[in-house]
Amino acid sequence: MLLTLAWRNIWRNKVRSLVIICSVAVGLWAGAFIVAVYDGMAKDRIRTVIQEEVSHLQIHHPAFKEDFEPKFVAGDVDSLTAKIVAVPGVKSITARSITRGMMANASNSSGVTVIGIEPASENKTTGLQGRIIAGDFFPEGKRNPILVGNKLAEKLNIKSGNKVVLTFTNTHNNLTSGAFKVVGIYQSINSKLDGTNVYVLRQNLNALLTTPGKAHECAILLNNDDLVDSVKLQLQAIFPDLKVETWRQVSPESDLIATYTTQSAIIMVVIIMIALAFGIVNTMLMAVLERTREIGMLMALGLKKGKLLTMIIFETFLLTLVGAPFGLLVAWATVALTQDGIDISAFADKGLSEYGFSAILYPILSWDSVYQIIVIVVCAALFSAIFPAIKAIRLKPVEAIRQ
Amino acid sequence: MEIVIDAHNVSKVYNPETIPVHAVNNVHLHVERGEFTALVGPSGSGKTTLLNLLGGLDRPNEGKIVINGTDITDMKENQLIDFRLNNIGFVFQSFNLIPVLTAKENIEFIMLLQGASKKQRDERVQTLLKEIGLSDKTNTMPSQLSGGQQQRVAVARALASKPQFILADEPTANLDSKSASDLLDIMAKLNKEENMTFIFSTHDSRVIERARRVVTLVDGRITSDTATFQISH
Ligand SMILES: Nc1ncnc2c1ncn2[C@@H]1O[C@H](COP(=O)(O)OP(=O)(O)OP(=O)(O)O)[C@@H](O)[C@H]1O
Ligand SMILES: [Mg+2]
Repeated sequence: MLLTLAWRNIWRNKVRSLVIICSVAVGLWAGAFIVAVYDGMAKDRIRTVIQEEVSHLQIHHPAFKEDFEPKFVAGDVDSLTAKIVAVPGVKSITARSITRGMMANASNSSGVTVIGIEPASENKTTGLQGRIIAGDFFPEGKRNPILVGNKLAEKLNIKSGNKVVLTFTNTHNNLTSGAFKVVGIYQSINSKLDGTNVYVLRQNLNALLTTPGKAHECAILLNNDDLVDSVKLQLQAIFPDLKVETWRQVSPESDLIATYTTQSAIIMVVIIMIALAFGIVNTMLMAVLERTREIGMLMALGLKKGKLLTMIIFETFLLTLVGAPFGLLVAWATVALTQDGIDISAFADKGLSEYGFSAILYPILSWDSVYQIIVIVVCAALFSAIFPAIKAIRLKPVEAIRQ
Repeated sequence: MEIVIDAHNVSKVYNPETIPVHAVNNVHLHVERGEFTALVGPSGSGKTTLLNLLGGLDRPNEGKIVINGTDITDMKENQLIDFRLNNIGFVFQSFNLIPVLTAKENIEFIMLLQGASKKQRDERVQTLLKEIGLSDKTNTMPSQLSGGQQQRVAVARALASKPQFILADEPTANLDSKSASDLLDIMAKLNKEENMTFIFSTHDSRVIERARRVVTLVDGRITSDTATFQISH
């Protein structure tokens, strides 16, 4: 009965209530869509991290990452690979030799991370071949081939076919260098990596480092994301002396950015709802003041304060919640309509790729976000209900009736 | 006879600190079951204040009020609300009804608060609507009813909770003389047939004529209290 009464009460001032209901709907539509876009960005970023950059898991010698000293190898490529492949859930694995050094051409030089790969397994694990924008992906028969990132290529003015010299120290702490021929230029979503990572063949790098048959890093792709923690445990048991890390540990900033991206979107929804809450409080206060006499009369007749409170809270909730499903529904529809991606490269290409974000947005409205939004809306409704409800129960029936 | 209201030495002072107004001053009043009593007096004489005190809407500064054997003077607020719900019927001068509820729902409302079953409510509402002659207005909204019809629904609602007595503060003040007389007819009928006690305040001499007891207030004091001779119908 109180619910019926509350429902009819909110329609006493149709325009006023509709304005509030529509504001909530529009606010939530915008809020939910922003959350979806940000969520999409975060998920996309994580996909990129896992599928193109870090893979699900990485294995290193525990000391390797401190200084990238070539002597800290993870082990023999063949035995590492054989043991890892045997673990259920592993989709693909690639073993790399890695060192830091200088890359120079006739006129310029730049610090680089040299990654020695085995092209077939590398491509299977990170899809590197797909990011080639000029030249080829390690063609047969070329001596000492090297792949250079677009950003670095521009910086050093390097083109496919040029020669470059790599210089670094080997396991004996001797400076060593080798001439490489640029066979291709690649471009990834993450422009920072494009400026530092160069790819050579693992056996070429191993020869220079004097680490034949060894690898510094194993990158492992799993059949799905949920296996990360369990496979990590298994691998750690197999390789007690090595460091097994998940993508989150290898790239904590990606995880952080992804989390913060989603959280900042949720904060936006909170701000939208706080703004709306003021409008709702105002409307409900007006509704209570206009009905002073009537509320006094209800109390005189025998409506207890608790019930009066409930009635006002119901009214506020209805006012707030009626618009919410519409807003969410329209947001959902908007997300469905933009499934093919929103290309914002025209405005934001450079800035986004600096942080490893793609310039095409794929909004995702997950149930998780919807739940969070609903919780926020309910809190806003509760918050908005407090003042008007207190105002109502403070009324004294005699005074209210005398008005 | 059974005493339903026993007001003992009751006083109400407004603004006791600044300019005190002795709205009700040392009033003794006994009302017995089945009375049909008018409270009269000039404007500002304290009629509304006294009715509010008797109805437990306001608290006296002095004296005590006993309703049907229960002292309500120091009752807790929520207890008092419950007491009003179950013991006292109210009819106000205007804006009596909840505008978003139909005639039937307005009457039913109070029974819902009392926790009556659907069957009980339906039966009682039908009976009451018939008694006030508005069976055809069951599902009409208050705004579609005339002033007189609204007051009749208010009387039915006051009756719905089966109270000890009904307090009506100038129930006819906003009505034309025909509607006023119709309302009085209904009240008198309910008084006679259901032995319902009515206490109503009024300025209207034609309404006063219908009362069987007239209590006159002047400056918050009872100046006369007379049983009047009733011409039977
Ligand atoms: N809330 C209040 N604060 C101060 N004084 C009040 C208040 N309510 C009533 N009064 C005063 O108390 C006195 C009695 O008022 P009351 O309304 O009871 O008279 P009444 O007989 O009902 O008058 P009327 O016939 O005009 O309705 C008046 O002098 C009035 O001004
Ligand atoms: Mg009055």
